[in-house]
Amino acid sequence: MPSSEHDRGGAALLEIRDLTVRYGGVVANDGVNLAIDRGEVVGLIGPNGAGKTSLVDAVTGFTAADGEVVLDGRRLDRLPPHRRRRAGLARTWQAGELFADLTVADNVAVAVQRRGWAGLVADVLGRSARTAPDPSLEMLGLLDDADRRPDELSLGRQRLVGVARALAGGSSVVLLDEPAAGLDTDESEAFGDVVRTMATSGRGVLLIDHDMNLVLNVCDRVYVLDFGRVIACGTPTEIRADAAVVAAYLGEEPVA
Amino acid sequence: MSVLELKGVTAGYGHAAAVRDLDLSVKAGEVVALLGPNGAGKTTVLRTAVGLLQPTSGEVRVFGRRLGRRVEKNARAGVVLVPDTRAIFHQLTVRENLSLARRRGDLDIDAVLDRLPRLAPLVNRRVGLLSGGEQQMLALAKALLARPRVLLVDELSLGLAPLAVQELLPIVRALADEAWTGVLLVEQHVDLALATADRAVVLHHGRTALSGTAAELRADREAVRKAYFGDHEEDELVLAEDGAPLHA
Amino acid sequence: MDQLVLFVTLGFAVGAVYAVIASSLVAVHAATGVLNFAQGSIALWGVWVAAELGATGTLILPIGSVQIADGPAPTTVAVAIGVASSALVALLTHLLVMRPLRSAPALSQVVASVGVMLLIVSLVPLRFDTTGAVAAPILPSGTIEVLGAQVAVADLIVLGLALTVAVLLAAYFRFTRWGTATRASAEDETALRLTGWSPDRLAALVWFTTGAATGLVAVVGSPSIGLDPISYTFYVLPGLAAALIARLRSVLVAAAAGLAIGVFQSLLMMMSTYDFWPVWAQAGFGETVPFLIVMVALFVFGRSIPERGGVQTLRMPPVRPPRTRPVYALVVVAATVAAILLTEGSWRFGVVTSIIMMLIALSLVVLTGYLGQISLAAMAFAGTGGFVLSRVTTEYGVPFPLSLVLPALAATVLGVIVGIPALRIRGAHLAVVTLAGALAIQTFVFGNPAFTPYEGNLIEDPTLFGLDLGVRSGTVLTTTSFALMVLVVVGTLTWATARLMRGRTGRSFLAIRSNERAAASVGIDVAGTKLLGFAFSAFLAGIGGCLIGYSRGQLSVESFTVFVGLTLLCTVYVAGITSLAGAVVAGLLAPLGVLATFLEGTLGVGHLYSLIAAIALVVTAVLNPVGITGSVRQASEHLIHRRTTRAQL
Ligand SMILES: Nc1ncnc2c1ncn2[C@@H]1O[C@H](COP(=O)(O)OP(=O)(O)OP(=O)(O)O)[C@@H](O)[C@H]1O
Ligand SMILES: Nc1ncnc2c1ncn2[C@@H]1O[C@H](COP(=O)(O)OP(=O)(O)O)[C@@H](O)[C@H]1O
Ligand SMILES: [Mg+2]
Ligand SMILES: [Mg+2]
Repeated sequence: MPSSEHDRGGAALLEIRDLTVRYGGVVANDGVNLAIDRGEVVGLIGPNGAGKTSLVDAVTGFTAADGEVVLDGRRLDRLPPHRRRRAGLARTWQAGELFADLTVADNVAVAVQRRGWAGLVADVLGRSARTAPDPSLEMLGLLDDADRRPDELSLGRQRLVGVARALAGGSSVVLLDEPAAGLDTDESEAFGDVVRTMATSGRGVLLIDHDMNLVLNVCDRVYVLDFGRVIACGTPTEIRADAAVVAAYLGEEPVA
Repeated sequence: MSVLELKGVTAGYGHAAAVRDLDLSVKAGEVVALLGPNGAGKTTVLRTAVGLLQPTSGEVRVFGRRLGRRVEKNARAGVVLVPDTRAIFHQLTVRENLSLARRRGDLDIDAVLDRLPRLAPLVNRRVGLLSGGEQQMLALAKALLARPRVLLVDELSLGLAPLAVQELLPIVRALADEAWTGVLLVEQHVDLALATADRAVVLHHGRTALSGTAAELRADREAVRKAYFGDHEEDELVLAEDGAPLHA
Repeated sequence: MDQLVLFVTLGFAVGAVYAVIASSLVAVHAATGVLNFAQGSIALWGVWVAAELGATGTLILPIGSVQIADGPAPTTVAVAIGVASSALVALLTHLLVMRPLRSAPALSQVVASVGVMLLIVSLVPLRFDTTGAVAAPILPSGTIEVLGAQVAVADLIVLGLALTVAVLLAAYFRFTRWGTATRASAEDETALRLTGWSPDRLAALVWFTTGAATGLVAVVGSPSIGLDPISYTFYVLPGLAAALIARLRSVLVAAAAGLAIGVFQSLLMMMSTYDFWPVWAQAGFGETVPFLIVMVALFVFGRSIPERGGVQTLRMPPVRPPRTRPVYALVVVAATVAAILLTEGSWRFGVVTSIIMMLIALSLVVLTGYLGQISLAAMAFAGTGGFVLSRVTTEYGVPFPLSLVLPALAATVLGVIVGIPALRIRGAHLAVVTLAGALAIQTFVFGNPAFTPYEGNLIEDPTLFGLDLGVRSGTVLTTTSFALMVLVVVGTLTWATARLMRGRTGRSFLAIRSNERAAASVGIDVAGTKLLGFAFSAFLAGIGGCLIGYSRGQLSVESFTVFVGLTLLCTVYVAGITSLAGAVVAGLLAPLGVLATFLEGTLGVGHLYSLIAAIALVVTAVLNPVGITGSVRQASEHLIHRRTTRAQL
């Protein structure tokens, strides 16, 4: 049920209010408002350097920012990154950032497990930590690669490992930063289905990507960012026709 | 004349061959698109063509001579790779990165920045701080400054906005047309690649599944689709532009 | 006032050497990413070559010598050849040791540089006649008056040389393309090759130049600093402190800081002549304080999560988490019990020492191998354990098992304190900061007269339920009951550690080791987990220190100095810092362990021990960039793979 921003009543699952990110003199995000509902796939597109990754960094706590981040009624903007993740806000990284020393299965398992002192005691006295592979591996078709190390995989599959890692261990909102980069056309189509599946369980998804086939087919709503500001927001059809978006981002040629 | 020629090349990692018995050539002034699904071995081909990876059998020739093992010498001779890891230096500024690529007496940095207006305002920023797409533009700018005679580009469109891709691909095309560079272009966006290239080769499981002129492949998208799934029947049917079969 | 000026200028010569070492450290690090612990030793070699030439006209080489003049060689010749030999040592270090290791984990290069350092230190007394040697004056001996004090012209010239070197190096890195390329090579050599540059040549140039510069300043400064067989080697420590003040980035800041440390130490000398100056602030104070300042400064400016494009952590050897194979464990335990029962005297002592050192090695496997935090402080934690043990047994009569736990907890507390900087400081920087921690513990705890009674740190023998577990009984040097007690304690802790490493904790450690930002993004509390690692590791080391204490009956400071810690890290690295097996091998190799007993007692080459150890360290590091056990594993995996592929054919 696509709807544009104005006619939304009630609180969304994730609300980003008036978010501003500055790096010295560079203003990467300038008063951005964005909301993601339960079960909704929201797209975020914009030219290179528009501030998309900065937005994800700020929302997940990796960059200092002004503004509010509210997940399910709870303010997260003062918490350190790992606490935001435990609260259910997960992300992937544009540059992959996988754990090169861990196998694909362990890359995902590390996101699920008990930690700190409790984990330590459980390790020494409890039962073995080896468990069945996380369901997210199967969902992304990574079971065959479970025992390989990330650098043995092609770029596209590395990104998928990042997605599996974000899905594992209870996440109510996932922010995907160019997860389909490096996927071929078929894989990207299949990935679109996976994104929809993620959302069916009530999860909110933010999808950043430059693959317009993917974004425009999969998303319920799309935000467009340019120079750190939201210049458009609406359904894929509205966005495709928006003159400002065509001029700043899509270009004149028909998109593949 | 072929500036780059792979003859019966087999190459891979450890015990697994990622490319098997591959023949491929690029002429001066020609853009060849190297297509194929993920893991088909495209990146491996490029690494072999610049000397980062030694073929276990077969040979790589550039400008008619056998390719040496020293990557830096190959690069100075004009075989330039833009890898999917980008080969840029995150601790240096944009300008410093560009200055390293410049060969003495060649193109100057400002001339290249003129062609990449989005990069121009960022010249003094540390590269590690740039956005992914900005880094990709820098990787291409660096390659342009090196005055390549053979340019190998791995997934140019990776992380680039549609509009940026539409601006950069013509620059690559112009390099072939004006500087007579031979370009081997790896792309996931089949349409964009076919629109830019003269010829195209589709790899599957490290072997050629299909090859032909870009025009032929544009006309027969169904064949391309099949080749992505590894339909080897198409192999013999497609002829090179001069009408001769590409494969013995 | 003129006394102040005098002491300030007295610090110039040493300060100049610190400055040139610091600038060289920054330059070499910029070019290759290596912290070159051998930089001071490179100066040492040049100084002695020049001195010997100036005295006798003999050019001493590592093997053999050449008589180049009858009687003393002219000063210019002596200086020139001295400088050239420093430069050559540096170049050879690069060509023979560092270049083969260029694609190996960064730590292997640090280890190799420590090996080179130890090699030179042990070679100098063997090759040169170090008794009563003096450096002949090289520079004019006049003085000039500055603010009422007489200042030696020679010292001012040395100072000028050091600053000139720094300015030239800084200009090279900042304004030339070669300098830019050199900086790029430390980040990504493959990318630099693809850009058409040869990283090898750039690095060779930097090694050669910094070697020559360090040699020059040290040789010219040696008449006013004095000649002795080791001190220049240790100048690498203030050099490191200064390099770190410059955050390993700016050559100029490093040089200025080096000079400031030299002056500071000289002023401290002046202060200690006053009555009001406290006793505890004398020995070692001047070395420790600069480090503590660095530690605080780095912490304040550091970031708890690395920023975008920030410094990457050092690459480490790969890890295969241990599988629990009870059979192997039983075999190892049975073999150890046999080794204890079948030996006696010094051999049994060697076995017991090896078991204990294995536990301390294990503390490094956890902290450095798994968590990726390079620590030079393991021996300091062990020493803390031992010292507290002495206190609690002799003064408070704490009974046996508790007498292990309390000191280990004390070590744990110190571990956490030293670990706090690790929350914001990473990689090579952290290595130096833990060095600072170790130095501080050494100075303020071990070296503090308030803690160290004149009669030494005695330790009461352990007993359990009336059973005497003491190490000696009558003429028996090492009792069976003591050896078995050590085995039980170490075995239990090793078992627990193994479970930890293959469990969730080990996984979180490895995640942090490979990527802190990503670790935080999957919900790992990076800060908490790092402290957990430091705490656990210090606990293991603390227990190890107590066992060492029990095995000697008395504690000596020399067993726990910073350099012992450095050597231990290197030993564990070459043994295999990412596996249990590596810890076992490191235990066997450790000083006073099984191998040492063999060399000492059976081969009778004890006096060459340090030289043999240093050569072995360098050679092993070069041949096994991922450690001995790592190499064995790679070889066996290769073999298994060949067999399985053949079976499939
Ligand atoms: N720490 C920083 N200091 C200065 N500028 C920065 C910093 N981090 C990011 N920037 C700049 O902020 C801008 C926004 O970057 P961001 O990564 O958010 O873009 P993006 O929309 O994700 O682009 P892309 O599509 O290319 O990934 C870029 O111009 C980038 O160079
Ligand atoms: N460093 C590596 N080690 C082991 N296998 C690798 C490595 N790099 C690539 N491969 C494997 O080689 C095959 C071809 O990969 P690649 O050339 O990257 O394909 P493409 O670029 O077409 O996606 C894949 O099966 C991939 O998993
Ligand atoms: Mg981005
Ligand atoms: Mg590829």
